[in-house]
Amino acid sequence: MNARNWRILALLLAVLLLTGLLAVGCTPAQEEETPGEEEQQQEQAGEEVSEPELETLRFVLDTESFRELEAQAIAQQLRDLGIDVQVKVWEWSALKAKIKEGERLAYLTDWGSAFFDPFDLGVPKLRTGDRGNYSFYSNPEFDELMVTAITTADEDVRRDAYFRAQEILKEDAPWVFGYYMKAVEASSVDVQNWEPSMDSRINLHDVSLASGDTIVVGMATDSILSLDPASSYRDRETETVIRNMFDGLVTRTHDGKVVPELAESWDISEDGLTYTFKLRDGVYFHNGDQLDADDVVFTFEKILGLGAFADTEGTSRAGLIRPSGVELTVEKVDEMTVRFTFSKPFPVFLQGLVHQQIVPRDYYLEVGEEGFGKAPVGTGPFKFVSGKLDDQIVLERFDDYYGGSPDLPPVGPAPIKRAIFKMVPEPATRIAGLKAGELGIVQAIPPDLIASLEADENIVVKYVEGTRNYALELNNAKPPFDDIRVRKALNYAINWELILDEIYGGLATRLATAFLPSGFGYNPDVEPYPYDPERAKELLKEAGYATK
Amino acid sequence: MRGIKVLERILATIPIMVGIAVIIFIFIRAVPGDPVDLMMGEGGYVSEEEMEAMRKAFNLDKPVHVQLYLFLTQTLRGDLGESFLKQVPVTDLILDTLPATIELALGALVFAVLVGVPVGVISAVKQNSLVDRVSMAGSFVGISFPHFWLGIIGILIFSVTLQWLPTNGRLDSGLSIEHITGLYVIDSLLLGDLELFWNSFHHLILPSATLGAAVAAMIARVMRSSMLEILRQDYVMLARAKGLSEYRVIVRHALRNALIPTVTVVGLQTGVLLGGNMVVETVFGWPGVGRMVVQSIYARDYPVVQGAVMLYAFTFVIANLIVDILYTYLNPKIEL
Repeated sequence: MNARNWRILALLLAVLLLTGLLAVGCTPAQEEETPGEEEQQQEQAGEEVSEPELETLRFVLDTESFRELEAQAIAQQLRDLGIDVQVKVWEWSALKAKIKEGERLAYLTDWGSAFFDPFDLGVPKLRTGDRGNYSFYSNPEFDELMVTAITTADEDVRRDAYFRAQEILKEDAPWVFGYYMKAVEASSVDVQNWEPSMDSRINLHDVSLASGDTIVVGMATDSILSLDPASSYRDRETETVIRNMFDGLVTRTHDGKVVPELAESWDISEDGLTYTFKLRDGVYFHNGDQLDADDVVFTFEKILGLGAFADTEGTSRAGLIRPSGVELTVEKVDEMTVRFTFSKPFPVFLQGLVHQQIVPRDYYLEVGEEGFGKAPVGTGPFKFVSGKLDDQIVLERFDDYYGGSPDLPPVGPAPIKRAIFKMVPEPATRIAGLKAGELGIVQAIPPDLIASLEADENIVVKYVEGTRNYALELNNAKPPFDDIRVRKALNYAINWELILDEIYGGLATRLATAFLPSGFGYNPDVEPYPYDPERAKELLKEAGYATK
Repeated sequence: MRGIKVLERILATIPIMVGIAVIIFIFIRAVPGDPVDLMMGEGGYVSEEEMEAMRKAFNLDKPVHVQLYLFLTQTLRGDLGESFLKQVPVTDLILDTLPATIELALGALVFAVLVGVPVGVISAVKQNSLVDRVSMAGSFVGISFPHFWLGIIGILIFSVTLQWLPTNGRLDSGLSIEHITGLYVIDSLLLGDLELFWNSFHHLILPSATLGAAVAAMIARVMRSSMLEILRQDYVMLARAKGLSEYRVIVRHALRNALIPTVTVVGLQTGVLLGGNMVVETVFGWPGVGRMVVQSIYARDYPVVQGAVMLYAFTFVIANLIVDILYTYLNPKIEL
């Protein structure tokens, strides 16, 4: 045989192999579809005699690829009840645009909460017409309760409003309510005193090492967006790096409690409109400047577009500090006191404030916005040495650190000397880096890779309660999901226990509504819809749909 | 003459580039997705008015043809606009990430040529031997396996198990290097720092091999078949008849002629290597243009996507031009 023949043979083999693979890959799907449809047709034909008005409920379930397995499982369970569900996989940005245009019917979505308060789930996701309200849910009573809850200072009133809101949600069933998940993070055994935080922050100030003095953190991103806390960014990875270089007025314990940081103490006025912060004395920026009220006022004026920045729109971080439509002013009372005044109470202000760190006014004005991003200076436990946003950020211990929040021991300069944040977007590579000893801490570990890490004795896997709500949202504005009976039927029809156990191990916990148990005002008396296929069928029949 | 022809060809790229600019501008906007909405994240409170103000700041509120006009006039002035996400000029972002991408592409190219050419030549000379069959089977593997898989397997074998090579990045964590060309392997040599050279070279091996595997395989196959053809030519027989050593026959007489198709492959693959490295850059945490494009596409950061795609297109056009010019050197009968 000459080379030519060999090549032809190889080509033929390859073609055969490919066709074979394609055939194997396609056949089950086709088989699944065709008889399914036939059955349904037969069923329809059969039922037309007795109950001619019953039709098959059909819809497409949209999902991102990372939840495809879950979508398929849900679809299968619904098919078992006689509902014709097809799964379609999307890229998120495209799906989101189509959802907002009202073109889709049912979609698996998730939404993170940063405030430990249902405010940033309830308002954007469920208030009439709000920006994350993909289900087009609208209930004036619910809207009213949300307004009460976020503009009232009285905690009891707020709690009552949230409690009632959850009852309404369960009754209205705008979504098929889903679950929340534990976040999985891992470290080398060398890393001590490190706890994953509910807000995904990595607090390197408190960490120490059994050997060596440098810690490398593998970040789950292509690139962080900025090193300037007074610029525009809204992602948690950027925040994580910034919060190791900069401190804010307040911070949070890893389980979500707000505690003082640069502010020594604060007073909230009776009416909930004024917050007066007393700054800690003897806090220095990395360039030697002492922190005072001017720095705080400057930072917030830049973000909110006030004072010297009145001709700007502020930055995209303004929404973390105050809701739009609410006036907020910042003023210096004396060298070490700052006062924030709201036109309406904003009771979750302190939770939002955790995410905003302070920049030094004089230095910022001297080097300008661009210069500051390249050589940032903060009051945090580590100072910037070098690095690029899409590569690695190298930080060094700030020896004159005031010590950090007294509520988060140890207080004092950081035990470790150098901290490096490395952008490693691919999860498999992050985990390989951890196993090879190149990385010390790794976040966002996919459920299917946990077992291999748990088996490694040099690695510690840690879990923390998540703040992200995963659900199946329904388009309440369009048939068939404008019918509450259909929405409720789906809530009864899905065996979540089974799906969550099989796909996410023990990581996921079922939710009764859109609100998280870790947030303020969680109503423990509202329980999730039970799995009750019979009840689901009844409701579907009532709504005029055929069932199996 | 040749100089004028080259200039002509370079000028001819201008309309191509404008066409590409228009196409990418329209395509990226035809994909559903709202950059401002994506930018605002989830937590906290943002109103429609605030988002509208931001759209205005990015000119996204203007009709598409006005946006296109602004984009084209800006681009002709050499200004590719500012990234929505990072608020930094796109040209800066590209200049910042391009050296890493070039280094990886060159590394892959060197790997591909160093592996592909000898394998192809040996396979042709020892046609149908065990060496031939093994290397052709190997090249089949190189072409077929996706970068992602090759990269992860490479990391598992060479980084995690054997611990010979690092898993990610361009240098060990915490090391940095003064930028001269931006290509760390070259910069470290220019600085005379052998330790840094070794370090950066070490980091380059696995990503280069992953990215270059398919090209190496392609080169080996093309090289082999053109070598086989050339070895049957009369002038090779003549060279042998003259009593030249086998080495001289193959290297001086056959190889040079057999290189022409290979140069085509290399030239065309250069574009692929520069533009097709999103996966490899992501797998190896390599901070290049590809990864930036991926992030920008997900975030609908239009200016960055536009700038980077135009760069890719430009690379393809130029690579083709260089191939054509090289032809004329390798075979004086061919004209531009």
